[in-house]
Amino acid sequence: MLRVEHLTKIYPNGTVALRDVSFEVPDGEFLVVIGLSGSGKSTLLRCINRLIEPTSGKIYWNDIDITSASPSEIRRIRRQIGMIFQQFNLVKRSSVLTNVLSGRLGYANPWLSLLGVWPVEDRQKALRALERVGIADKAYQRADTLSGGQQQRVGIARALMQDPRLLLADEPVASLDPVLAHSILQYLEQLNKEGVTVICSLHFLDLVHRYATRVIGLKDGVKVFEGLPDEIDRTRFKEIYGEEAQEVRAASL
Amino acid sequence: MNKAERQPAKIFALLSLILPGLGQALQRDWKRGFSIFLAIATAMATVVWYGKSGWYIAIILLWLWNVWDALNMPRGAPVAIAVLLWLGMAYGIGWQVTQVNPMALFTNTERAQSILRPMLQPDFFTARKEKHEGWVEIQVPCSATPPKAEKTVGDIHIRVQPDCGNLNETLIVTADGLWPNEPTEITWMTPIGDVKLLGPGNNQMLVVETDDEGHLSAVIQVPGSALAAAPDPTLPLPHRVYLTQTRPIGGMTLSTNGQYVVRGIYETLALALLSTLLGAILAIPLGFLAARNLMSGHPILMGIYVIVRTILNIVRSIESLILAIIFVIIVGLGPFPGMLALAIHTTAALGKLYSEVIEAIDPGPIEAIRATGANNLQVIRYAVIPQIIPPFTALTIYRWDINVRSSTIIGFVGGGGIGFFLYQWILIGDFRAVSASFIAIAAVVMILDFFSAKLRERLV
Repeated sequence: MLRVEHLTKIYPNGTVALRDVSFEVPDGEFLVVIGLSGSGKSTLLRCINRLIEPTSGKIYWNDIDITSASPSEIRRIRRQIGMIFQQFNLVKRSSVLTNVLSGRLGYANPWLSLLGVWPVEDRQKALRALERVGIADKAYQRADTLSGGQQQRVGIARALMQDPRLLLADEPVASLDPVLAHSILQYLEQLNKEGVTVICSLHFLDLVHRYATRVIGLKDGVKVFEGLPDEIDRTRFKEIYGEEAQEVRAASL
Repeated sequence: MNKAERQPAKIFALLSLILPGLGQALQRDWKRGFSIFLAIATAMATVVWYGKSGWYIAIILLWLWNVWDALNMPRGAPVAIAVLLWLGMAYGIGWQVTQVNPMALFTNTERAQSILRPMLQPDFFTARKEKHEGWVEIQVPCSATPPKAEKTVGDIHIRVQPDCGNLNETLIVTADGLWPNEPTEITWMTPIGDVKLLGPGNNQMLVVETDDEGHLSAVIQVPGSALAAAPDPTLPLPHRVYLTQTRPIGGMTLSTNGQYVVRGIYETLALALLSTLLGAILAIPLGFLAARNLMSGHPILMGIYVIVRTILNIVRSIESLILAIIFVIIVGLGPFPGMLALAIHTTAALGKLYSEVIEAIDPGPIEAIRATGANNLQVIRYAVIPQIIPPFTALTIYRWDINVRSSTIIGFVGGGGIGFFLYQWILIGDFRAVSASFIAIAAVVMILDFFSAKLRERLV
């Protein structure tokens, strides 16, 4: 159970990214965050694992206060929270296997990991993770030789290495074509069915309807909607995306 | 044009005659007036500094043009004329200052030939030869009881008669056991190792051919300069007469100068490599300190950033040749001062380039690795280092490439390497050796260029 209370983030330049956002995510949910670019979706996700320090407010995960965790505590919390990114954020020049193994850094012996030495179990786990996302044959290639869809699967495999109980996905399919988008989200759906809580920001409403169990809408850093996917009708859509917005369907692209 | 309009124009022309540009300026064309004043002032300064009176004509013409211009305001006189006048003056004086003399390229063909002809025969390889040599000691000047001037070295037996000699006295050399029918060089060596030639005028090699049995006899004179460097010319000391035969045995080998070229090239490569490595090691921490994205967090860090950047820029602007001169004074001649000079220049240059690499790294992977629960060292190891190692390596190889080229020159000021030998050969006029080192330098630079380009291609 993740509980976000009165979360506010003001950047040093004065931009208010989040304003008094509160919500709860019960275990096993597939929560989708929607909103325009710049509405605070990315900031929200990064506040949850404290890649960004919130200005005020509290985040509790299983009753542990993430917002006041010490540096070593936050590292222990982070290793149970997987994260995947719009730009995949792989180390392009490293091999696929090294990228996947780096997901295990939070658990690994710090000194051996600095030398690049990994236990056999971790290597096998990494190969299994790659197998699961269907690219085991690419393990020893450089990450930047892979296509976008394949790179995002490496991103998922890296998150799998963390044995995550929560998965944060920041626009995971925004850089991919619609067919690939579904294949990536199906991996997330499958993980979700295995009990991993997923918080995912998305752009396309049809993807929201297809995968979300619940939806939060952000506008200018304020939560303007919270409910089931089916509740988002044209009126709601305009509330979140503004009057001029036209619904774009991923499938129609 | 009527008289009323002409009248003020004449006044302005007069004003311009007194002070160039004044008339134009007072007719509200400030820019034109100021430009004219500046042009004539600079032209005058140049001509006065150069001091050749003929060039005052250019000033006078410019001045007259200026009056003509003031007279014809607001349209003015054609600017092109003034510009051409000014440029003509600048170019003409420049021509004389740099002592341009194109004919010198053709009138000195003899001198050019004396350099170019040997350069067409680079002194790098020589035919392999075997040597057959013997010597005998002879006392100069004579004492009461000189030892017998007879000696057998290997299979060569030499006898000189009489057993001793004073300056310019005639001696008879006989020898057996030499190669038959081969030219034999006869030379004189003083006790301190000075070699004297015994041919006509004592500045040519005396060469005598052996007979069918390998026997030789020759008449020599004790060289007049044999005692020139002796501490006591009256003290009898043993001098030596050498008989040397050489004959080709097929194949080629490095000549003496060729060996120096090889050694010089090796020294150059080594000093370039060492200076690059030392510079790279020093440049890595500086590169981090000079990276804006890492140092912008805190005013103190920002201060360090500014200081490091400034120092790097200043050091980079000092030519490594000048650094080499300074280090030659401090540590003495040889490859070491050259290495130090190049290392310092390399540190500054690579520090700047490294910092630019660090500034350009992708923050995405850093975020992703932090999100896995990694600590700071793990983030650097897994997200930063993989991104910077390949460009760092490529830049370092490129720098080695540059340093090899620089180190060929650095020898000119005593910094070691091939340049040191090259400079000596230019001074003593051994242009066959000069040519050999040119070829060797060109070959090494080209080969290195090729491989460093290939290597860098693979890294980036």
